[in-house]
Amino acid sequence: MNREISVMMLTWEFPPRIIGGISPHVYYLSKSLARNGVKIYVVTCDFPGAPQHENVDGVEVFRIDSYKNPSPDFATWVYLMNVNMQKEAAALVNSLGETVDIFHAHDWLVADVGIGLKHVFRKPLLTTVHSTEIGRRNGIHFDYERMIHETEAWLTYEAWKVICCSDYMVSHVRWAFGLPHDKLDMIPNGVNAEVYAKTEIDDLNSFRSKFALPEEKIVLFVGRLVYEKGVHVFVNAVPKVLEKTNAKFVIVGNGYMKEQLSNLVRGMGLAHKVLFTGFVDDETLRKLQRCADVSVVPSLFEPFGIVALEAMAAKSPVVVSDTGGLSEIVEHDVTGVKVYPENPDSLAWGIKKVLLDDTYANSIKTNAHKKIQEKYNWDKIAQNTKTLYEAILKEHSKSVWA
Amino acid sequence: MHVIIFSWEYPPRMVGQLANHVAELAARLVKNHTKAYVVTYHDYLTGQHDEPEGVKTYRVTNPVRTHIGVLTWVLTLNQEVERAAANIHYNIGKQLDLIDAHDWHFIPAAVTLKKALNIPFIYSVESLEEHRSHGANSPFNMAIKSIEWLGMYEAEKLIVKSEWMRDEVIRLYKVPSEKIEVVSPKSANWIKSILEIYKNTAKGGYPR
Repeated sequence: MNREISVMMLTWEFPPRIIGGISPHVYYLSKSLARNGVKIYVVTCDFPGAPQHENVDGVEVFRIDSYKNPSPDFATWVYLMNVNMQKEAAALVNSLGETVDIFHAHDWLVADVGIGLKHVFRKPLLTTVHSTEIGRRNGIHFDYERMIHETEAWLTYEAWKVICCSDYMVSHVRWAFGLPHDKLDMIPNGVNAEVYAKTEIDDLNSFRSKFALPEEKIVLFVGRLVYEKGVHVFVNAVPKVLEKTNAKFVIVGNGYMKEQLSNLVRGMGLAHKVLFTGFVDDETLRKLQRCADVSVVPSLFEPFGIVALEAMAAKSPVVVSDTGGLSEIVEHDVTGVKVYPENPDSLAWGIKKVLLDDTYANSIKTNAHKKIQEKYNWDKIAQNTKTLYEAILKEHSKSVWA
Repeated sequence: MHVIIFSWEYPPRMVGQLANHVAELAARLVKNHTKAYVVTYHDYLTGQHDEPEGVKTYRVTNPVRTHIGVLTWVLTLNQEVERAAANIHYNIGKQLDLIDAHDWHFIPAAVTLKKALNIPFIYSVESLEEHRSHGANSPFNMAIKSIEWLGMYEAEKLIVKSEWMRDEVIRLYKVPSEKIEVVSPKSANWIKSILEIYKNTAKGGYPR
C-alpha cells in the first residue's frame, strides 16, 4: 500500500473521559501509531467540556452524544449509545475523502458499532479484548452477564483478529469464546515512563506529610474498589504488616466496596493506619506512586495489570498476586515480589519482605524500571500493532470483499 | 427499482397485523415490476431464505441469544438486519434505491445504512409507543420513543395509514406535515400511491 494506513479506533472512553484502563490505552496507542505513520481517527463518547472534534498530537478525535437516549439500565445504555456512535461514525467515514482501512474496536462496549461498520463498509474489524465478563464476574451467573458474555463472543467471532495484552488473556479468551489460536495475537499494554521521570516533587516531605507521618512507610494500593481487585485482601494484610513495621496504607480509587471496606477498617481499629483518598488527579497519583515505599496489586482477576507497570515506571517496588497478566509482568525476586492470590498472610509476607530490606527493594525496583523500558514502551507496541494492521490488510486484499 | 422492506414480523411469524400487511405489500410490489426484498427475523422455525411470490425474503436471527429485555434484543438484532441489507446492496451492484422500515424496530439499521451508503429510507408507521404503552414514560418506554423520534427525524418520508395517525405523529413528534403521506391500505389505488412515494423518495436528493 502506497499511502498511509487509515484506522478508526472505537472506544467508549478516551481522555478526559477516564473510567478504566481502556482510556489511557487507546490514548497512548493512538498517539504512538500516529507518530509511526498510521492515520488514526478515534470515535468515542462525549465528556463535559471536551470538544466534539479535536486533534490530539496527530490523532483526530470525534466525540459523539452518548446520553441522548434515556435507558433503563447500564447494558441498555451501552446498546443505545452504540446506535448513536454507529450513526455518527458511518457519517464520518462517508464524509472523509479517503477510505478507512480498518475498524479497531475496544471491548464489547462498542461491539455493535464495530460489527455494523465492518459490514456496511466491507472493511476488516479488529478487536482488542481488555477484559471479559466471565473473568470479571468469576463465572456467568445471571442473564445480564450471559448477554454481555455472548456479545463479547459475537465481537470476537466477527473480528478478523483478536488482540490480547498478555499470554494469560490469550489463553483465557481462547477458552472463554472457543476461538482458533491463529485468530489471537498478543501485544502487551504499555506505560509511559517519561511522564514519571518528569514528575518532580519539589518538597517531598510536605507532599508526603499529606498522606503519612514521617516515621511511617507508605504502602500504596491504586485501583477501583471492587471485588476482583482484591482490596479486601489488602486490608486484611494490614495488621500482619504492622506487627513488624510502622506504615500507612494508602488506598486510591473509588468503587462499590468503599463503604464496606471502610467499615471493615474501622471494625479492625485501624482507621488511623488506612487512608482512603478516593479518586485523585493524575499528577497527585504519579507523585504518590513515586514516593510509595511499596506498591501492592492484590487482584484476584487481572487481565493485564497496568497499575503494576505504572508503579515500576515510578520506581516503586511492587508486590503483586501471582495471577493473570501480573504473573507475566513480574519476575519473582528480580522485578518484584509475587504472592498467593486471595491470601492476606502471603500478601503481608511480600510487603514486609520489601519494607524490611532496603537492598532488596532497591534491586527489584531498578530491574523493574529497566524491564518496562525494554518491553512495555509505546513505540514498540505501536510498531507491533502496525505490523498486524498490514498483515490484516494483505489478507483482506485477497478476500471476496477486496 | 430495488426496495428492501424491514419488518420484525412476516409470515409465518405473526405477532400482530403488520405481518400480513407487509406480505401483501411485498407481493403487490413484485406484481408491479419492483424488485422487493424483505429482511425480517427468524426464530429457527421459519427458515432463512425463500421467495414466496417472487419476494426475496431474508430472515436473520439474533447473534446474542440471551437478553434482559426487548430493547437489548432489538438492538443486537439490528446488526444482523443491517448486515443482510448491506449484503443485498453489494450483491446487486450497489443498486439499492430505498429502504421501507415498518415500525421502530429496525430504525437503527436504516439510519446507519443511510449515513454510510446514502440509501434513503421511509418510515412506515403502524403504531406508536405512546399508544401501545398508554402514555407510560418509564426509561424503557422513553428509549423506544427516542428510537421512533430518530426514525422520524432521519427518514425521507413517513407513511401512515390514517389522518388520525398523521395528526398523532405531528402532535407527539412535531414532524412537519409535508413529510408525512397518508395512504390507506384499503384504498383502491393503495399500491400505486405507495409506488409513487417510493419513486419520489428514491430519487430524492442523494447523489450516488
